Formats: sequence, structure tokens, C-alpha cells
Amino acid sequence: MLPDPTPADLERATAGDVDAFRTIVERYQRMVYSVAYNVLGNQTDAEDAAQEAFLRCYRKLPQYRAEATFSTWLFRLALTASVDYRRREGRRPEPVEVPETAGDDPALGDGISSSTLVAALHDLPDDYRVPTVLRDIYGLPYQEIADLTARPLGTVKVMVHRGRASLRLRLQAEREA
Amino acid sequence: MDCSYFCSRLNQFVDGELGYLEVAELQGHLSFCPDCAAELARISEVRAAMAAWGEAELAPPPGFAERVLARAALDPVPGSRRPFGRVVSDTLDQLDEALGRVPLPGGRTVPVKNVIGYGIAAAALAAELQRRRLRRLRELKSL
Repeated sequence: MLPDPTPADLERATAGDVDAFRTIVERYQRMVYSVAYNVLGNQTDAEDAAQEAFLRCYRKLPQYRAEATFSTWLFRLALTASVDYRRREGRRPEPVEVPETAGDDPALGDGISSSTLVAALHDLPDDYRVPTVLRDIYGLPYQEIADLTARPLGTVKVMVHRGRASLRLRLQAEREA
Repeated sequence: MDCSYFCSRLNQFVDGELGYLEVAELQGHLSFCPDCAAELARISEVRAAMAAWGEAELAPPPGFAERVLARAALDPVPGSRRPFGRVVSDTLDQLDEALGRVPLPGGRTVPVKNVIGYGIAAAALAAELQRRRLRRLRELKSL
């Protein structure tokens, strides 16, 4: 977990100090980009949405209250910016490319590699992928997913269940191949 | 009851959405049904893989931070006087956060500020219709 910026850092960034804002961007860029990539499923869109999230952060800095940690606040901005981006722009067809991870590749389980999981997520229709990612990667409650994606609660649940079923079949087929 | 009844509940089970009795009923079935137990294991495995992937921090493309800073430099300083459009947009965002959302039938929700907006639009429309009706009445009287 990254340490939150100090109140003094935030105050300087709010006053337009570029170096203070640079510190925030450099500290959180991986987290914000990861959220955008997982929601949007390709690197070009993820970069645009992550930039948008940081711009929203910059503009809303005066509204930040320390009721939530800064990273939680920024994480929500990144999620909202990514979901809004998908709603606005749709999705560009792009070949699957797994971005570099910061540390070692995470251990995903027996016979499941990062590239297999990313490819399986990439092949899910957007309507299934976004709610499934929000639920199973980020653990959002169903109601919050329904609010974010502007879909009925029941529909969101069905989409997540179908998304999981598709992923399960895909990963099983990869393992058996 | 056949397996399809229990299979349909596995997702609700992993999401913690079943009641105590339903959990007990499902666990009873899982204890002697290897197919459903295997299905549950597969769902759990996918969820665990997804959660583990969520922990990975992905590296943005080179020069990402510089591009963000270049775009931010085009913006006015956050606390400074904002253009009228931005003031409206920020006020609506704050209203959104403060007022929350109204549940609609079917599980949908709509921001309270939208409901207020629809109300204002409906009131304006009603006032305009009333104004036209009165004008028409005055015209008829004068004939």
C-alpha cells in the first residue's frame, strides 16, 4: 500500500505546484492505469482513461476531504473515469497485449497464467467483462456496479454470472489444450 | 431437487447472498455431489485468479506521467476562478454526491439531481401551457 500524500503535498498541488502534482502522478500511475486497463481491456483506451482520471483528480483536489484515504478517493475516480470512458467511446478492437507488471507475475492458480486470464477477459463481451471485473477483481457490491454502469441490479448479477461461466469454460479449455 | 437447482445457486453462494438455511441446504448437497462440488471449485478458482490479477500493478506506457502533466498544465490552477461551464459541472457533481440516487422499479437508480431537473422541466412546460391557455382565453373573450 502506497503512503498517502501529506496534507502539505496536497495543498501545494491544489495551489498549482506542478512538482507536487507530479509526485502524486508518479506515485499512483500504476494503480490508476491498472484499473483503467482491467475495465477497458486494451492499452490505448486505458491510457486515455487513466489520463482522464488524473485530470479529474487535479480539478477536484480542492474537493478532496480526508474522510477517505487519498488512494481510495483516487481509485474511485479511476473507476468512474474508466466506466464513463467506455460508455462514451465504446471499445476499440485491439489485439491482446499484456502490459508489464510492476513486480513478479502474480500467482493466479494452477495452470492459469496472466496472459491466459487477460486473453480470456479480452474475449468477453463488454457487457459481461466490465461488471465481472468490477465484482471479482475489485470486489465492488452489486448495487454499486449497477449505479456505475447504469444497469438494473438483476441484469448486473446475470452478467457477472455469465461472465464467470464464460471465463471458467475458456480457462478450462486452455488448460485441456 | 436436481443439480440444476443447486448449480444456479453457486454464484449466489460465493457472493455471500444466500441465507443460513439455503447455505446449509447447498452444503448438504455439495457433500455428496462431486459434480456440483467441482463446479464450485472451478468458480472459486476463477474468482481467486481474478482477485490475484487485481493485485498486480501494471506499468503504463513510457512517458505517461509527462503526458498527464502536460495536459494538466493546460488547465487552470485547481483552486482558481473557474469558467462558468466548469462551475455548473462541479456544482452538479457535488449535488450528485450530496443527494445520492433514487431507486426505480426493476433495480435501476437515477441521480436525485436528474429527478429535480425533470421536475423543473415539467413545471416550466406546465407554466408555458397555462400561459398559452390564458392568452387563448383572453383572445376569445376579446372577440
